[in-house]
Amino acid sequence: MNELMAARSITTRPVVTLGGDAVAHVKDTVCDAAAARVTGFTLTGRGLLSGPLKDGLPWAAVHALGHDAVMIRDPLALVNAAAMTARQQPLRARLLGARVLTEAGSEVGTVLDVVVEGGTGGRVLGFRVAASRRFVPGQTRHRRRVYVPRGGTLTVSGRDLVLPEDAVRHVADDLPGFGSLVGGVPGQWRGSLP
Amino acid sequence: MLFTEVRGLPVVPSAAGAGPLGTVASLDVDVAGRGVRHVRLRGGRLRRETALAWEAVEAIGPSTVRVRSTARPGPAPAGHDLLGHRVLTEGGTSHGTVLDVAFDPVTGRLLAVFTTRGEVTPGRLMGLGDHALVVRTA
Repeated sequence: MNELMAARSITTRPVVTLGGDAVAHVKDTVCDAAAARVTGFTLTGRGLLSGPLKDGLPWAAVHALGHDAVMIRDPLALVNAAAMTARQQPLRARLLGARVLTEAGSEVGTVLDVVVEGGTGGRVLGFRVAASRRFVPGQTRHRRRVYVPRGGTLTVSGRDLVLPEDAVRHVADDLPGFGSLVGGVPGQWRGSLP
Repeated sequence: MLFTEVRGLPVVPSAAGAGPLGTVASLDVDVAGRGVRHVRLRGGRLRRETALAWEAVEAIGPSTVRVRSTARPGPAPAGHDLLGHRVLTEGGTSHGTVLDVAFDPVTGRLLAVFTTRGEVTPGRLMGLGDHALVVRTA
């Protein structure tokens, strides 16, 4: 199992060739329409005052998505960012803030962050969600943030993500717990004990 | 021999009576060839850095670097000093920074790279750029 990382933590990570040269920094993560995998990254320049780059990094050019850098094989493999984000929108524009619902129609919460698999996989494994009060009951004072696995069959309707009912049966409180939850260890049971 | 031992040694031509050319500032490494490529030297506090090809070096002793009397230092090529450089694995995780490099003073071949997170054999080196030294995951 590769390392899990939150997509927002990938922003500002350097893009480094296997030759050791830094090419750019990651600006945002782009994923496909079904929110199943990462399809690339939009980039900013390396300097303090340099703005967004016209080039984007497609996932095919990524050697490995690591904890400290995004490694690429060839610095010339960048493509036009406008062409890349024409059909697939960057995370910040589409997924963050989207409502998460179950198939039965009950509200889970809104997406705060997207959990992706590092290494060479690039799968979207789950979401960090600001849970609605009905989904995770608790003190009214602070809102609960939980990690919800993506599940096999997620459907996107407009701005809403609809999860299968059994995907939200187990949730995790933190990223290591979510890692073991995705790895097969059941997390905490949501709701009252049987 | 270690890079930190060579740094600061005077570079002296082997001809009798010749004065030193300068002191060793750093050694340039060819990562693909796994050896030392240039010796960078500094003539004085305000002088610019110059470089000598490794072939011009006759012997490296404990107190001097002896070079051929015909050797003339040229302008320093673009390169990155290994010492203190950041190390990344192929998978994009940090592997500390380079503390020291062991090399063979006769052939100039690298023997080992010591990082803050352990030793790296020269066979694992992949590339040295402006951001990091990239090593293969063991």
